[in-house]
Amino acid sequence: MSDFRAMLASPYFNVSEGFFPNINLQDGLNWAEEFIQNVVIPRLPEAVAAHFPVELGTVLVMFGCAGIFVGVFPLLPLFLVLAERKVAARFQNRTGPMRVGPWGTLQTLADGVKLIFKEDFIPPQGDKFLFLLAPYIIFACSFAVFAAIPFGQNILVSDFNIGIFYIMAISSVIVMGVIMAGWSSNSKWSLLGSLRSAAQIVSYEIPLGLSILTIVMLVESLSMQEIVATQSNGIFSWLIFRSPFTFIAFFIFFISAIAEVNRTPFDLPEAESEIVAGFHTEYSGMRFALFFIAEYANMFAVSAIAVTLFLGGWEGVLPGYDILGGLPGFVIKTLALVFLMMWLRWTLPRLRVDQLMNLCWKYFIPIAFFNILGTGIWGLIFPEDTLISTSISCAIIYIGLIAAYKVAGRSLAQRPAPQPS
Amino acid sequence: MDKYIRNIYRGVYTVLVGMRVTIKQFFEPNVTHQYPYEHDYEKKRNVREIPKGYRGQLYNRMEDCIGCKKCEMICPVDCITITGTKLPKGEQLWDSMNIVHLKDGREAIGIIEGDDKKAKSEDSVTLTNITSRQGPQEVIDRLEPSGDAGRIQTFSSDEISRIVTRNPVVFYLDQFDIDMSLCMYCGLCTEVCPTECLTMKDTLAGVEYSKFDRSDLIFRFDKQEMYNKSGTEDIEAAD
Amino acid sequence: MENTQQTESKIIELKPFADEMVVNMGPQHPSTHGVLRLELKLDGEVVREAIPHIGYLHRCFEKHSENLSYPQIIPFTDRMDYVAAMNQNWGFCLAVEKLLEADESRDFEVPERAEYLRVLICELNRIASHLLSFGTYGMDIGAFTPFLYAFRDRERLLLLFEKVCGARLTYNYIRIGGVSEIIPLEPGSITEQNFLDEIEAFLDYFEPLIDVYNELLTKNSIFAERTTGVAVMSAEMALNYGATGPNLRGSGVDWDLRRDEPYSIYDRFDFDVPVAVDVPELGSVVGDCWSRYKIRMDEMKESVRIVRQILAEGLPSGPVMADLKAVRPPKGEIYFRSEAPRGELGFYIVSDGTPKPVRLKGRSPCFSALSALQELSQGLMVADIIAIIGSIDIVMGEVDR
Repeated sequence: MSDFRAMLASPYFNVSEGFFPNINLQDGLNWAEEFIQNVVIPRLPEAVAAHFPVELGTVLVMFGCAGIFVGVFPLLPLFLVLAERKVAARFQNRTGPMRVGPWGTLQTLADGVKLIFKEDFIPPQGDKFLFLLAPYIIFACSFAVFAAIPFGQNILVSDFNIGIFYIMAISSVIVMGVIMAGWSSNSKWSLLGSLRSAAQIVSYEIPLGLSILTIVMLVESLSMQEIVATQSNGIFSWLIFRSPFTFIAFFIFFISAIAEVNRTPFDLPEAESEIVAGFHTEYSGMRFALFFIAEYANMFAVSAIAVTLFLGGWEGVLPGYDILGGLPGFVIKTLALVFLMMWLRWTLPRLRVDQLMNLCWKYFIPIAFFNILGTGIWGLIFPEDTLISTSISCAIIYIGLIAAYKVAGRSLAQRPAPQPS
Repeated sequence: MDKYIRNIYRGVYTVLVGMRVTIKQFFEPNVTHQYPYEHDYEKKRNVREIPKGYRGQLYNRMEDCIGCKKCEMICPVDCITITGTKLPKGEQLWDSMNIVHLKDGREAIGIIEGDDKKAKSEDSVTLTNITSRQGPQEVIDRLEPSGDAGRIQTFSSDEISRIVTRNPVVFYLDQFDIDMSLCMYCGLCTEVCPTECLTMKDTLAGVEYSKFDRSDLIFRFDKQEMYNKSGTEDIEAAD
Repeated sequence: MENTQQTESKIIELKPFADEMVVNMGPQHPSTHGVLRLELKLDGEVVREAIPHIGYLHRCFEKHSENLSYPQIIPFTDRMDYVAAMNQNWGFCLAVEKLLEADESRDFEVPERAEYLRVLICELNRIASHLLSFGTYGMDIGAFTPFLYAFRDRERLLLLFEKVCGARLTYNYIRIGGVSEIIPLEPGSITEQNFLDEIEAFLDYFEPLIDVYNELLTKNSIFAERTTGVAVMSAEMALNYGATGPNLRGSGVDWDLRRDEPYSIYDRFDFDVPVAVDVPELGSVVGDCWSRYKIRMDEMKESVRIVRQILAEGLPSGPVMADLKAVRPPKGEIYFRSEAPRGELGFYIVSDGTPKPVRLKGRSPCFSALSALQELSQGLMVADIIAIIGSIDIVMGEVDR
């Protein structure tokens, strides 16, 4: 009972005066330790009990969590593929897959089985070693990103002190896999696709990194958990509202992230109507599935990063509403961004290569630099995140949006449509 | 600079407008037909109905076929093969049946009492021995008239749009093959048929008849059985 | 040691610093609209030359027709431009009717009701064809959703065609001297009323959607970026290549056979001919891909207008087929052109008085438009080639015949 009181006094619990009890992983670890000490050890023979490690419970719980990580992440793309198909179907007044399982829920599984049994074709003229290696590089890199993403208060693999830097670095390696796949396939479409991809990913890393830099400047840390910790006071403490510049940075980050994961409107590397399937044209069977899984895992990863950096991570909308260590809130926010990506994908056409580069170098990079300048000035004026700075920031964002709406409405909507003579 | 900002404006604005269009459609009901499953006629929802007059699989009511070979001649792809022997002049096997087309799209097959060539100008037409259009059982029924009173119907001339007159069957048909793998579904053969015995099925069976073997798509319409039933000694004599 | 020598010699043979890459786009390619093969000579992504190779869908239509009687040819015209088969039927029938009119001994006129039905169905078919063009163009540019919206609406039209002629794609509906009577549409009957009501319901549903599609795709800035200023076909060039229909009007030439050489009963209807103009907000200049595409979107509205006029008038009663005992045109020759959705569809027929033509030539609008591709695509990028093919809206069934 006294432990429970101590638990109530713990920093994790005292903010929770809301409707839901705050259960977090730290409690779980404490509980496991208590359980070993109070229940298991007294019942053991004395010889064993004396040497019985009390930390075993902690270790077991951590193993359990690790098991969940390993088990859940590869399943994520399975879910996302189905979600994508269903969402696309809704946008197009269709039903999507309906035959396998109830409402087609097992369709991805069936596709997976099909892909496993398909012929694993290796182009005889291609570079066999690179051809075999490429999917693994892409697959491994896209899943390695998850190591640094905090899914909840204590639900993360490792809280690096250079977390966001690590994510940037590891996700840049993906382009290596793409180029390897394109080159080794010995197909012209693959080569075109991989070179497009290389140019695109390398270019869009810059606005991506610059917009992350605005966050890092304000938080003064690269650690993901510390970035989340600065956003713990409800929705208006989220970094997207911290200053008008982070607000812009969020959109630059998000759009660049869409480009990073090769989704419409930036899906040039795998533009179906132009270069057949891009860098994975020649892949079949399970190797193709690896690309596919990696693509959807990437999609989730960049959304998760955007949530962590700008939308409060696992912190709730109101301070303290981080149920189950904030995991459900985090997943909901991430899936909302994933839905936004799908929405964009099923609305927009595709850019051309030169326009893609235009967008990056002429629009995103200057604006991102401008953001950094502004963030620096903002940091000088408001060194601390106070109520005043947040209100000023939100007011500027609000006024800016309204003004933009008015100006846009005047300059675009009221212009008479061209009449054919 | 003005153009630069205007480009950003236009980009964001048009993307948002497009997103508004798609999200509206997100909440619209879907238009999918679950094709093979919802053809179940007991389940009425979303049933894809095959309209009347759909040009499906060709079917020939052999007992009315007079062997005129018009369909064979008009077919642009030569998918119909007819071989047969003509009876000596003045002899005939039987008459084909009358078809009365009504103005509401229905049609009735039977034998018109009296002179069918003048029936159109009369006030009412009495049709005896009404059968449905398709199916082998009806074919046999028609050849052995039962004289059932329930199968007599009278139509007034206002209802009738067209009457197909009777024609004498003067051909002994050995073979009437339709190769549906060649057919281009133009429907020309059904239009020239004088007795309207060659029709295209506008039912589900006329749309879905896929086979595993291409040779199964050659539909052979056989008349032998009928000849035996109606006593074909004359024909053998004629041969 | 031997191995290295071999590789070295191989590299020299392959000329690793060759500056052109030859890529075969098609015949199996997602966006070549059928089986068009393009031989692309690429310098990176820039197209140095694009040579179209056609003939993969060649069915000997013209030679085949010499062995068929005139009514038998109609189903084959369905297979030319299979997304606008009604218009193809009509083009052929108009040519044969013109030829038949030369026969003094035959008093022959296409009934009024048949003419109205022809215009009604063909304008609906034009909408269906332009819808498909709009949808596939969106898909070529990378937006998949407009494609399915277009197919959703086209499906309703196909169901209407199915009700009137019994087929969804290869209609064989318009016949020499009238229209088909396979499914009788009695004047004044409830069937006719239902049919017209369904068309009206479709128009009410569809007309606002054109503006929605314009919002979704036409005015979208990414779409505009991709298509405006790309592959500008000047009016002179369009005329030189014989581009017709929306492609010609997209180049700013005000020419529509329905208005300028009215056949059938088109002179009775009030409709505009959309012609491309510069749209500086979107950066569009006359003759670019966007203009050609926009003409089609505007033409759908005009077709809706024509159909609405017919619905307001109501179909006249009477027969739908002229009293033609047999189609046996007199000796002579004829060239007749009509405005199909893809441009001027012409049929040249030489008759020697027998039921079969001596020579038949189809003038395909897609073929002429496709011939301009090589000049249009100079110096553009691979993605632009797709935009051009989509904007000139080819149907390979008609190009190859």
